[in-house]
Amino acid sequence: MPQNDKGLLLRLKEHDVEFVIIGGVCGVLHGISLVTQDLDICCRFTPENLRRIERALKNLHACHRLTANKLPFELTDELCVRLKNLYLQTDIGILDCLGEVAGIGSYDQALKRSVIHRMSYGEFSILDLDALIAAKEAVGRERDLAAVKLLRAIKKRNETGKNPS
Amino acid sequence: MIDEATLAQMNERYVCPPDAEPAWREACEYGFDMSLVEDTLRLSPEERLERHQRALDMILELQEGCDSHAAK
Repeated sequence: MPQNDKGLLLRLKEHDVEFVIIGGVCGVLHGISLVTQDLDICCRFTPENLRRIERALKNLHACHRLTANKLPFELTDELCVRLKNLYLQTDIGILDCLGEVAGIGSYDQALKRSVIHRMSYGEFSILDLDALIAAKEAVGRERDLAAVKLLRAIKKRNETGKNPS
Repeated sequence: MIDEATLAQMNERYVCPPDAEPAWREACEYGFDMSLVEDTLRLSPEERLERHQRALDMILELQEGCDSHAAK
C-alpha cells in the first residue's frame, strides 16, 4: 500500500482542514532520520473540520482502518459529535487524525506549541521540537524514546547553531 | 597522501566528534548513524520530507516483494 504524505497534506491544505502535523513526519521535518509509515495529525474535532477532512479524502476510498470490516469513512451528524480520533486508510496512505496529543493536550494546545514550516506547496503547522519531545516521552514506547534521543541531539544542535561538519 | 584521520573516516563508521554535545553523543552511542542526521539537517524541511518519501517507497517496495515471494 502506498504512503504519499505530500499527497495527503496537499488535500488537507486544499480543503482548509485545521490541523497540526505530529508524530513521525513531524520528526522527519525537524530532521530525524527514521522512517515512518503513516501521517499523524492533530486536528480540531468540530463537525465543520471533520466535514473538511471528509471532503479532502473524497474518492480515496477512506475507511476506518482499525474496525473489523474496515468501515467506510462516512460521517453522520452523530459521528461528528462522538468521534474523538480517526484512524483512516486511504488509497494514498494512512492518515491518523487525533483530537488530542499525549503530553500536550487538545488541538488548540498543540497549535500553541507549533511552528510553521513553509514548503513549496503551502505552509504547515508542525509541533515544535520541545512539544514533539514531550509527546513522544508521554507515549513512552521504546521507538518513541529512541526518537527522543535523536530529537534532543537535534535540539541541542539547533540551539548551539553549530553546523554539521 | 591521505592523512590518517581521513583514512579512518573512509574505513570506519561515523565517529562522534570529541566536542559533541552530550545529547549528540548519547544518540550516537545508542546506535544512530549521526552522519545521516547531519546530512538531513543540511536539507530544508521539504527536502527532508522528499528524502523520507523515497526511503519509505523503497521499504514498501521491498516489503511487497517479500510478501509476494512468501505467498508463492
